[in-house]
Amino acid sequence: MSKAIFELVDELPKGGITVMALNSLDFLLPGQWQNTVGFDNTIRTVTGETDESLIQQIGERAVTLYNDKSQGYQRAMWLYDTVDSASGMLGTAALANRIGQDTFLGFLKNITPKPENAQSIDLGVKLVTEIVAFCQINGIPGDSVGDFLAALGDYSGESLMRMAALVCFDGIIPLGPEFAGKALDMLKGTNPSELEGNQTFNGVKDLIPGGNPTAQLGFITQSFDSVKGWMTNFVSSTGATRERLLGGLKGFIDFTDDKADYVGALLDMNVKYYRHTGVQTLARRLVERAYAEL
Amino acid sequence: MISPRWRRILAPIFLSLLLLVSACAPEAPSRYDQVQQETSRRGAEPAVAKDATQGSEFNKFFPKSAPGYQIVPAQEKKGFAEHKVNKGGKNVAVLSISDTSSVPSAAAKYQNSTKKISGYPAVEQGSQTTGILVNDRYQVKVSSRDPSFTPQDRVAWIAKFNLNGLERLN
Repeated sequence: MSKAIFELVDELPKGGITVMALNSLDFLLPGQWQNTVGFDNTIRTVTGETDESLIQQIGERAVTLYNDKSQGYQRAMWLYDTVDSASGMLGTAALANRIGQDTFLGFLKNITPKPENAQSIDLGVKLVTEIVAFCQINGIPGDSVGDFLAALGDYSGESLMRMAALVCFDGIIPLGPEFAGKALDMLKGTNPSELEGNQTFNGVKDLIPGGNPTAQLGFITQSFDSVKGWMTNFVSSTGATRERLLGGLKGFIDFTDDKADYVGALLDMNVKYYRHTGVQTLARRLVERAYAEL
Repeated sequence: MISPRWRRILAPIFLSLLLLVSACAPEAPSRYDQVQQETSRRGAEPAVAKDATQGSEFNKFFPKSAPGYQIVPAQEKKGFAEHKVNKGGKNVAVLSISDTSSVPSAAAKYQNSTKKISGYPAVEQGSQTTGILVNDRYQVKVSSRDPSFTPQDRVAWIAKFNLNGLERLN
C-alpha cells in the first residue's frame, strides 16, 4: 500500500541538502518559498484556520481525495517521486562520463551518454513531467500545454520554486546560460532510440503522452519549445547566472571552481527537489479542495 | 574482556535484536489513521459521487476579472472548480463551486442557517470562508487568503457569481 498523504507531508525534511539547495535560490525569488512541512501545519498555513475540529475535517477530506486513485493525485506523486530518482541515475552516468574525459578511464565515455545530450533529454523529460503532474493535480486534459502555459504565469510558492530549480540546477548549471536554446537544438537532434536509452525518460515514460517514443519525443520537444520563452525570461528577469548560482551553492557544498562541472552531477544525485516541492504542491491543492468542498 | 570469538558471535545477535526492536516499534498514532484505513482499503467508497457535475460545467458561472482584480482558473475536477482572485500579482482570495452530492454534510450545514446572500442560505465557516448553497446542491464559497480581503468582500464576491445560471444547472 502506498504511503498516506499526511505521512508524506509530515516526513518532509526541515533541512538537509535538498532544502539548502532550494534556499540557495532565494536570491532569485526573495521570500517566494517557505519550506512548509507537516500536514496540519500545511492546513493552517493554506487556510488560515485555527479551529482544531475544522482542521480535522479538512485533513480527513484531503486524505480521502488523495486515496481515491481516480482523482489523479497519486499519479502526480508517482511522477514527482520517480523523475527525481530516475534522474539521479543520470547524475551517476554523467559523473562516470566526466571521469571518462579526465582520467585514464577513457573507455568509459564510450559507454556513458554525452552529458549535454543526456542533460538536455533530462531537462525536457522533467519539464514534461511537470506539465503532466500539473494536469493530474489540477484536472486539465493530459496534454494541454496551452493551459499549462497560462497557469505557469501564475505559478507561485513551491511550484515556482520547482520551476526555478529546474531552470537553475538542470539548465544553467550543467548547460550554461544559453541552456534553453542549446537543449532545444539537442532535443531536435535526438532520435527516439536515444530517448529510450535515457534513464529519466524510462522512469516516467508510461505517463508521458504519445504512446510511443517517436510521438513522446515530439511531445517533449514541442512542450520545451513552448516553455522556452518563459525559461529565457525567467533567467533575464531574475539575473540568474552560473557564477551566482555556484556562489550560492558554495555556502554548503565544498568545491573549487575547476570542479564546478561536477556540481551538476552532484546535485542530480542528491537534491530531490521535484519530490520535495511536489509533495508540498500536492498537499496545498488537496487542502484547498478539501476546504472548499466541506 | 570479551574474546574476539565471542564478539563475532554476539555482534550479529545484537544487530538482529536492534533491527527487530526498531522494526516493531509502533509509529506514533495520527489523528488521520482511521480515515486513512477506511478510504485506502479495497472497495472503499469513491471520494467523488458518481453523478457529480463536472468541474468544467462550473467555470462559466464564476465572476470575470474586474478592475484591479485578476481571476485565474486554478482547479477543475469532477464535482469541483476553483478560481483564484489576484490583486497586484498577489493571491488575496479563492472562489469555488462544489457539488455537495459527494459530501452531504456540506449541504446539511445550511439547514440551520438564518442568513441569506442573494436569497440563498449562507454560512460563515471557520474564520476565513463564507458560503451559500444553491438549489440544495451546489455550494459557492469565497475564502480570504489575505487580511485585506474582508468578510464583507467575501459576501460581495459571492453576489458576483452567475447564481441564477448555476441554479438552472441540473
